Amino acid sequence: MRKVKVGNNEIDVDLTDKEVTYIKDTLERDPTITEIGMFDVMWSEHCSYKSSRPKLRLFEDAEKNYNYVLAGPGQDAGVIDIGDGYCLAFRIESHNHPSAIEPYHGAATGIGGIIRDILCMGVRPIALLDPLRFGSLKNNPHSQWLLKYVVKGIADYGNCTGIPTIGGEVEFDKSFQNNCLVNVACIGLGKIEDFKHAPSRAYNPGDYVILMGGSTGKDGIHGVTFASRTLTEESEEDRPAVQIGDPFTKKLIIEATLEAIKTGYVRGLKDLGGGGLSCALSELTGDGGTGAIIDINKVFTREPGMNSFEIMLSESQERMAFIVKPEGLETVLNVFRKYEMAHAVIGRTDDSKVLKVYNEDDFVVKLPAKALSESPIAERKEKQPKFLDTLLSQKTPNPTKSLKEIVYELIASENICSKEWIYRQYDHEVGIRSIIKCGDGDSGVLRIIGTDKFISASVGANSKHCYLDPYNGAKGNLVEVCGNILASGATPLAMVNCCNFGNPEIPESYWYFSNAVKGMADFCKKLRIPIVGGNVSFYNEDEVTKTAIKATPIIMIVGLIEGENNIITLPFKQPGNDILLVGETLAELGGSEYHSVIYNLEGGKPPRVDEDNIKSRWDFIQELYKRNLIKANHDINKGGFLISIAEMCFKNKLGANLELDNIYDKKVRIDEFLFSESVGRFIIEVESITTKEILDLAKKIKVDIYKIGSIISDPKINVSGLDDKNFSIDVFELEKLYKNSIPNIMDI
Amino acid sequence: MSIKIAIIQFPGSNCDLDALHVLNDVMTIETTLVWHNEFKGSQFDGAILPGGFSFGDYLRSGIIAAHSPAIDEARQMLKDDKPIIGICNGFQILTEAQLLPGALLQNESLKFICKWVKLRVENNQTAFTNMMELGSILNIPIAHGEGRYFTDKLKELQDNNQIVFKYVDNNGEMGEYSNPNGSLANIAGVCDLEQKCVGLMPHPERASESILSPEKTIHGKLFFESMKNFIEKRV
Repeated sequence: MRKVKVGNNEIDVDLTDKEVTYIKDTLERDPTITEIGMFDVMWSEHCSYKSSRPKLRLFEDAEKNYNYVLAGPGQDAGVIDIGDGYCLAFRIESHNHPSAIEPYHGAATGIGGIIRDILCMGVRPIALLDPLRFGSLKNNPHSQWLLKYVVKGIADYGNCTGIPTIGGEVEFDKSFQNNCLVNVACIGLGKIEDFKHAPSRAYNPGDYVILMGGSTGKDGIHGVTFASRTLTEESEEDRPAVQIGDPFTKKLIIEATLEAIKTGYVRGLKDLGGGGLSCALSELTGDGGTGAIIDINKVFTREPGMNSFEIMLSESQERMAFIVKPEGLETVLNVFRKYEMAHAVIGRTDDSKVLKVYNEDDFVVKLPAKALSESPIAERKEKQPKFLDTLLSQKTPNPTKSLKEIVYELIASENICSKEWIYRQYDHEVGIRSIIKCGDGDSGVLRIIGTDKFISASVGANSKHCYLDPYNGAKGNLVEVCGNILASGATPLAMVNCCNFGNPEIPESYWYFSNAVKGMADFCKKLRIPIVGGNVSFYNEDEVTKTAIKATPIIMIVGLIEGENNIITLPFKQPGNDILLVGETLAELGGSEYHSVIYNLEGGKPPRVDEDNIKSRWDFIQELYKRNLIKANHDINKGGFLISIAEMCFKNKLGANLELDNIYDKKVRIDEFLFSESVGRFIIEVESITTKEILDLAKKIKVDIYKIGSIISDPKINVSGLDDKNFSIDVFELEKLYKNSIPNIMDI
Repeated sequence: MSIKIAIIQFPGSNCDLDALHVLNDVMTIETTLVWHNEFKGSQFDGAILPGGFSFGDYLRSGIIAAHSPAIDEARQMLKDDKPIIGICNGFQILTEAQLLPGALLQNESLKFICKWVKLRVENNQTAFTNMMELGSILNIPIAHGEGRYFTDKLKELQDNNQIVFKYVDNNGEMGEYSNPNGSLANIAGVCDLEQKCVGLMPHPERASESILSPEKTIHGKLFFESMKNFIEKRV
């Protein structure tokens, strides 16, 4: 932070000297205190994307290139047309910094914010998903504290608003020790006409500007600038920058907003999140090509005596701004009255293209509406970190433990074991749409009541892979999350991402960001997946150790399933059926759980992504679905394919005979083969009479596929074909380890 | 005669639309949503207090809603022989209003729990269980943070046959792992002395369509079929 002199006052800002000069030159005068505060917020990294914008341009224009994309990046949420007059809105966002300081309210208000983003697209929020990252859990009270209260924050807020939390994922890694990641995603469902009725723009002069919901207080002032710095020892003092959530009010806001939109009198709609009123008003008028005149004394405040600076910058939760047609004012206000929601008409739009805020007779803000959203770009340098070469050349040590011991250790490890301790605390049933529930599949599946369509949604990333190779790592994340969607029987439709990285001013950290973005852009262009939104969280860097978090470009994909019969689930169904492995297994143990759990190694050769191979596998799986040949499907993720097979055995208490003679290629070591994390592979269950048809088809379209065994009713996994290394494991014992790992740490 | 049912909406109710879908579209029973301070019991044959977090569960779950004018209407409905069911938060409201005995305390684990459980029918004479078999096992999900049933009049409840459901394990026994929240005597649901008012923590509206159920059962429908049967027989 630095001091800037405006008029007779001095104020602390994060703006650079260059930016302050630029502001003064543009306005041709000194800005007021409130104005400089607004610029400070709106030009923060969090709001302006000033470091990330040049790279994000690599993404294909979704709205232009995909006819079913109704809203792309730059809007509050991505929106896609899913047929039958329905649309889906979805978005993912980070709430990392607040959660690191105050996990309960940090996580809760993260949920609150993402719900508002969906709501202001005019649709009902119907599902939440939360990818989380913490330091290692074992013997680490700090991480345990964060996990406990982040989960409670999400649960208390989501459960109360009646929006089911249908999925998520967690990684534990020491790089997140002082910078936990709390990403929150929300999906909304509605009629396309409702989305079109109320855009996030004030495009008509003469409309009323209404503020509805919670009162404006002194909490959360400068939340976004706080989020645009690295955390330090002193960050604890920024706890007042963390807002306090009120899910009860949010629930009423959801109902009141949806009912107000139904009146047809709401012409524009915007939530108040980061940057508060400043952000909402400047974006509404800036994007709509209008201006507005606002009376700051009309804003209802939580305490008397708040000055205009505080009112314009407050990030108090649970507030929405409505742009309402003059003839419908009373009708809309009556809806707010029914829900006993506080509200005030705070001004009107005009055609001046200037945002004017006055306090009695004094203007406190008089800015070109677009000025705040047109921040200068910050040019950042990028440089590959030196430590990478050493890491990449690390070799897998010779195993000293038996394969069986290794499987036991892996299944109980923090990143692989069951996350039931977490999802039991989330109401994942409310809304009566959840068909595939938490823990039962690779993705959450929701029905669309009144149609025979189903939404499939999943989130995830592999930070360890991205740490070693952000370009292939980011692609691998896409392969993995799309794999989750595909495994449920769905077709991936669109993607949003949440980029969590270190300090962009440090070239090595920016290099990670730059390469991850390039990976996502290349993959999505090739596999035809529109990128309809994103969020960037920089400055996840530890000031004490001077290290950044492992690069974490979180991917969220939504897909669609047509017809209940086409939903595929994960558990093995029938003894006697064959088990097939789809996709090639390479010696890719870099960043694997095997390396980290057994040898405490972070390096090695990470998985690479070959888009052509992935494409033909996806087409192949879709073709098998069409022919109704797949009985169960699970994509292979952390720990390798044996872990996937174990997970498929649990639910129906089945086992597997695995005969690996004809697939185990002796050119790679047994452990490399068993625990490789090569991306884009699946384990599928098929009826044995259809196996030949499937293998022939695979041969024809050049997809790697192997029959690796069959399902048995005895709950044992018997592995043969490994010469003297054959082994057998008890499924119940594995399940116990899988399920008890987190409760054993958390419930003491 | 067609039956008319009301779902009473409190600010913060969030299972109201789910119940509406099940009653209207699955059961084809004419049902309407009514805002709590506009509710008139005389216009309906029965009422549902849905799940959710009425008034944010501030102060204590259900207590603020228990002071809504809708509760006076509900009390009158019971006097007029009309059935009322409280589901989850609705159950909490009915105990706070003392229309049902006992109280719901924070779960033993101190955590919110969302999972499918098994219930054993302990009383099939009530307005909401008369189509169930005594001792039969139902698959129904729970989702609550404060569902640990407690009463200091257990003997009285037993003597008056007011215990309607108990949590049991897969074998229908009250084993070690069958009690999800630490409820006294595994109690999941109770009724009033006249057996017309029933409250339970599990959610029958989430268990009324096979597509939603892990075991493809539709035990939730039995509640509403029983209600319909009760109303039709009464008339």
